[in-house]
Amino acid sequence: MLDLYLFQLLNGLGLGMIYFLIAVGLTIIFGLLNFVNFAHGAFFLLGAYLCYTAVALTGNFWLALLIAPLAVAALAWMVERVLIKRIYHLPHTFQILVTLGIALIIQEASVLIWGPVGKHIAVPPELRGVLIIGDFIYPYYRLFLIGFAALIGLGLWLLLERTRFGALVRAGSESTETVSLLGTNIFRLFSLTFALGVGLAGVAGVLFAPLRGAQPFVGPEILGIAFVVVVIGGMGSFGGALVGGLLVGVVQSMMSSLWPQGASLMIYGAMAAVILVRPYGLFGRA
Amino acid sequence: MTEKNPLAVAKGHGPALLLLLVVTLIGLPLILPSTTLATEILIFGLAALACNLLLGYTGLLSFGQGIFFGAGAYGAALLMIHLQWGMLGALVGAALFGALLALLVGALAIRRKGIYFVMLTLAFSQMAYFLAYTLSGWTGGDNGLLDVPRPNITVAGHVLLDLADPRHFYAFVAVLFLLIFAGALRVIRSPFGSTLLAIRENETRAAAIGYDIRHFKILVFMLSGAITGIAGALYAMLLHFAPLSNIDLMMSENILIMTIVGGTGSLFGSLLGAGAIVLLGDVLSELWPRWLMLLGVILILVVVFMRGGLWGGLADLAKRLRPSPAVDGKTKEQL
Amino acid sequence: MQRRTLLKAGLALGALGSLPLGASRVFAEQPLTFYGLKSMSGPFASYGKYADMGSRLAIAEHPQLLGQPLKYKVIDTEGNAGKAVRKVQEAIGQDGARFFQGCTLSSSALAVSKEINKAGGVFMTPVGADEITGKDCNSSTFRWSVPTYGAIRETLVPLIKLLPEAKRWYTITPQYVFGDALLDNARKVFSEHGIEHIGNSYHSLQEQEFSGYLTNAIAAKPDVLVLLNFGSQSSNALRQAVNFGIKDRMKVLLVWSAGLDQFQELGSDVLEGVYLGAQYWHQVDTPLNRELVAATRKAYGINPNYPLAADYIGTRVMLEAIIKANSLDGAAVSKALQGMSFQGPTGDELIRPGDHQVLKDYYLLRGKPQAQMQDDDDLAEVLHAGRSFIEVSQTGCALA
Repeated sequence: MLDLYLFQLLNGLGLGMIYFLIAVGLTIIFGLLNFVNFAHGAFFLLGAYLCYTAVALTGNFWLALLIAPLAVAALAWMVERVLIKRIYHLPHTFQILVTLGIALIIQEASVLIWGPVGKHIAVPPELRGVLIIGDFIYPYYRLFLIGFAALIGLGLWLLLERTRFGALVRAGSESTETVSLLGTNIFRLFSLTFALGVGLAGVAGVLFAPLRGAQPFVGPEILGIAFVVVVIGGMGSFGGALVGGLLVGVVQSMMSSLWPQGASLMIYGAMAAVILVRPYGLFGRA
Repeated sequence: MTEKNPLAVAKGHGPALLLLLVVTLIGLPLILPSTTLATEILIFGLAALACNLLLGYTGLLSFGQGIFFGAGAYGAALLMIHLQWGMLGALVGAALFGALLALLVGALAIRRKGIYFVMLTLAFSQMAYFLAYTLSGWTGGDNGLLDVPRPNITVAGHVLLDLADPRHFYAFVAVLFLLIFAGALRVIRSPFGSTLLAIRENETRAAAIGYDIRHFKILVFMLSGAITGIAGALYAMLLHFAPLSNIDLMMSENILIMTIVGGTGSLFGSLLGAGAIVLLGDVLSELWPRWLMLLGVILILVVVFMRGGLWGGLADLAKRLRPSPAVDGKTKEQL
Repeated sequence: MQRRTLLKAGLALGALGSLPLGASRVFAEQPLTFYGLKSMSGPFASYGKYADMGSRLAIAEHPQLLGQPLKYKVIDTEGNAGKAVRKVQEAIGQDGARFFQGCTLSSSALAVSKEINKAGGVFMTPVGADEITGKDCNSSTFRWSVPTYGAIRETLVPLIKLLPEAKRWYTITPQYVFGDALLDNARKVFSEHGIEHIGNSYHSLQEQEFSGYLTNAIAAKPDVLVLLNFGSQSSNALRQAVNFGIKDRMKVLLVWSAGLDQFQELGSDVLEGVYLGAQYWHQVDTPLNRELVAATRKAYGINPNYPLAADYIGTRVMLEAIIKANSLDGAAVSKALQGMSFQGPTGDELIRPGDHQVLKDYYLLRGKPQAQMQDDDDLAEVLHAGRSFIEVSQTGCALA
């Protein structure tokens, strides 16, 4: 029985790392741009579909892992230039409406391009099979996921903490005026940050594809999870996204042994409780 | 948020607005291909109007309207099925149930502001959905609640209005819509309404003047919940059925979209918004299965070009056609 | 149909600009229109697309019916039960619609069937909810798909015989009416055959992440893992099960598979060696199925899948019943359908008068390895076909 919970714990950590990847992009965008992106889930599914196409064309998952997120980020960059930058200053109502519109367009375009039936993406041959230690089993691919997500997280942390770009993003999250006083082209910074945040959703979409396939209607579910994680961790907080992601992943996994029907209820209940008790999340600043 | 709030409140003359509404209510079933479609538009018009009281008049962006809509539908249906309540009783019950839930959701949600408020309503919305899904003994779960009656209006055992006929039911809903619209109009033009607008424009200032903001926000939440509850009940009666989708996040999202597309800060705009979105779905889905893509484009266009929604667009158009500086100054920043 | 669509389009534009067009609402009575309820848009678009293709094939066989031109009109249910009911009401009220076939969601079908019954129409549906020919049955409504009872019997029992060593079985079930119906039936089969049901994991209807449930299952060390979910949930559960190497440790049975379209998505990688229950399989050799496969290949260049076959036969049988009744009266057509026997995709099929359930085969398939596949769609082989139905008296159905 203890084994089972150990199972679920590890499982939850793996799941949580994916949730972290999905949420961290959303949180960075919110932190710097004070922008609510309801299209985040749609960019996730686009990542999965582009992964499918890249694998179909090249036969190489690793290439897809490189190409698909870059393509998603490039698209996001264009969308930001054409549309999003015009609405930063508007109330959240309008940001939500526009990004809902974008989400619908991406979802329906995916059906047009790839058909209404989902697509399967195989686990790359190098990572097939399972790790077995005694009674304990865990797929290599999921182990890779945990490691890879951690690596991305580390890279992102270094980017935010150790580079000029990161310093600007962090400074911008505090006050955009300061950054523009530094003589930085604030709009370029915004575009890059938006592309980066959305690109991370694309990475998550690719990494999730062998587990979930590419399906046109997963956007809202992914978006919901991303919001829960971001809110629990604290909007705009990198560490919050990590801890929030792991927490949600572990709770969801544990609940599948204890009270499965209640998992969703509990996750959203936790989200509400956090906002009420600790409005800025576990790690957010007021 | 230093820039001017684009959600300006359009103020027409009360009687003129009501006349326009009466004409619309009479005209709708005549020009639409079916009365059930017209009824659906009015029902969602009610829901959008209720959402507008929160968003347009108080500045509260609620993702929880589906809770009240679904609750109204289930509440009325259960009262009619299990307790054999009549039409009016069921509607009052739905309104009370909606208001009660709105009190609960509102009292908690208004403790936070801005995006945190939005996220709270979103969380409650999801919880309500999972609750409805889990309580399948009451709600029918995923299959939905079937065999919802549509009782006739009777006085002392005498059938006053036979609502089985879709035209009669439309007339009934239209009269209800008119009453609620007029009532809502009175409310927003009352001192209470002015206070709400003051809260929307500048909460801190309103508080400084001495208003108990919490109190006002909760009250408007309950009003919105009650009207949305009635809309949900009418929808269940229209369909003879209360699907689980009444209470899901998509419902909340749709009601919000109708409100914003119609124009926040105009009660008539809400009817326009509901009409546009329902009709668009009805027509486009017949022409092209991927019609949601067009809806996405329209949402973007509204934000880019017509932030005041359809009502705002019409007002602009009217202004351009008949330039009248006196009115011009007033509509921008009225009060 | 075109005229109405155009009219509505004009109205929508008018409403958008709020310039109501003055239009009269005179619609000519259409001679005979057959209505297809298909989820063309929304999250079940993958089903509606093929279902619509099936209905169109059957309609094309009858350019004329009872001397009148036959028209076919699609009602897009948008994967939303509320919209479906309202549109059906509109068709009944405005156009005097009587003949309906289709629906993807059980909730839509249940609610729609009540409206059609009130209007004295006829409705044939392939949805999964047992209530359709159970406690919510009515004189207007007919169902082609095998209920949960038969789906369980015709997969579990042959598999138990096929795997005499497998004594410990584990189930994963979505927690709602449909899942519970499958689970109850499975429990009965287990106890009848001395199988140890060592555990069940419930999950919610929104769940897409199954690693938690799969680890529960692995820890219980069963011989067979039975998946009682369907659609994208079963796809993901299966995908993730393969990922966990479950196929090496136990047999896997998916009782309610969606058939070919789902198999095409998953591919032989995932499906090889997995046991699959199915309502329809295009390789089954029956006279009508040979015709259907040929017609589908000719019209669309694909092999028929379950939604296509189900809505083809549903539409075809209703049209045949109209001819047999020689009447456009709903009650007369319903009467003609009762007890009707016909050539169906699974062989000789019969509509049971007591509950309007079509009696037909359910299949147990097994996923083929890539090397043995003759063509891209040759993804599974049929191990067993058979029919089991509970007595009408036990369905809870009381037809007036």
